Amino acid sequence: MFNPNTPVLVVDDMSTMRKIVSKILRDLGFTNITEAADGNLAWEAISSAQAPIGLIISDWNMPNCTGLDLLRRVRADKSMGRIPFILVTAEAEQHQVAEAVKSGVDQYVVKPFSKDALQAKLEMVHKKYAA
Amino acid sequence: MDKIFEIQTFENYLLIKLKGSCDFSNLKGFYDEVMNVLQYSRPHVIIDCENLESISKDWVRDLLRLHLFLKSNDKKLRFVQASAALKSNFKTLGIDDAFKTSGTLKEALIDFGLAARRSLDTEFINPFLDSTMNVLKVQAGVDAQAGKIYLKKPNEPLLGDVSGVIGIVSENFTGAVVISFPEATFLKVMSGMLGEEYLELNQDILDGAGEITNIIFGQAKVILNGKGYGIKTALPSVVHGKDHTVSSHDLMGQSVVVPFESNSGKFFVEICLSV
Repeated sequence: MFNPNTPVLVVDDMSTMRKIVSKILRDLGFTNITEAADGNLAWEAISSAQAPIGLIISDWNMPNCTGLDLLRRVRADKSMGRIPFILVTAEAEQHQVAEAVKSGVDQYVVKPFSKDALQAKLEMVHKKYAA
Repeated sequence: MDKIFEIQTFENYLLIKLKGSCDFSNLKGFYDEVMNVLQYSRPHVIIDCENLESISKDWVRDLLRLHLFLKSNDKKLRFVQASAALKSNFKTLGIDDAFKTSGTLKEALIDFGLAARRSLDTEFINPFLDSTMNVLKVQAGVDAQAGKIYLKKPNEPLLGDVSGVIGIVSENFTGAVVISFPEATFLKVMSGMLGEEYLELNQDILDGAGEITNIIFGQAKVILNGKGYGIKTALPSVVHGKDHTVSSHDLMGQSVVVPFESNSGKFFVEICLSV
């Protein structure tokens, strides 16, 4: 599993969903959690973070800059391109999942989700980057 | 390499999904494979062009052969989700009469007489109701049961104090889904969702009604789009206050309300559709 001190960025335009994800992360032992309300604010947070962000968990469907836009922006950046990235979505249509995979997402979580479901995805992503 | 076409057989029609660039190099086997399926039954054929980037004359020739075969068996060929460029290409080649297009799979099925025109029927409503129960159970630990559905007049006030609203937009119809909670129910649902007790409404939790609506809409959308409804992604909004209404723009047309009882109290799901 990820080191509990890993800086995690939680991105969602809905404050309740940010709270849910952050609470699950705290329950799993994570101590360094930052929140952002859309993809643009997330990009600012990633760019200005004192300790490099080690994991991004982002909603897909957001105004201004979607989770997919953010993913592409991160993957296109030389220094940030390898940050583990999980997309959270309420609409897992096949073509959307394919688009996310093509853009370099590590895992996606379908809403509604439980703590166990998110934990399982985190473990998969950690395994991938630890390999 | 990914296969350029995928054939899916349904009870009354055959769906062929084309993707990428269809050219001479990947044409081999297409016509034979389709005819192999058609030897057992003679259904209408729908070509889904959503992920089609380009199509060569060789492919057009084989599709024309398929059209003629179907025509001789009193069946139809229909292209769905075709781009403007593809439609224009058909016109330029003078084959737009043979290669008819429909916006979505659902529309093609309606044209073939295999599906009913959109209405607030159980096919449309049930995914929202099933999704409501599932979302509240998984995300908030709420057990809910749907009560008896009834019709509602446009612009009647919503029955709850906090409502999440999301527009349902497709090429040929619009509508909305609203989840409306009395304050006491909403506070209990939010307490379940966020793992801490909330005793009064505040800005921090109000958007939870929008999030619940968003997730319910997302789940239902996947099911309905699998049936060809072509519903587009949308963002939710929240309205609150006693006797609040949702703008008539969102809730024009036929509207139904489904009351729910749950271990957190009652709430209401309103679905509106304007064809």
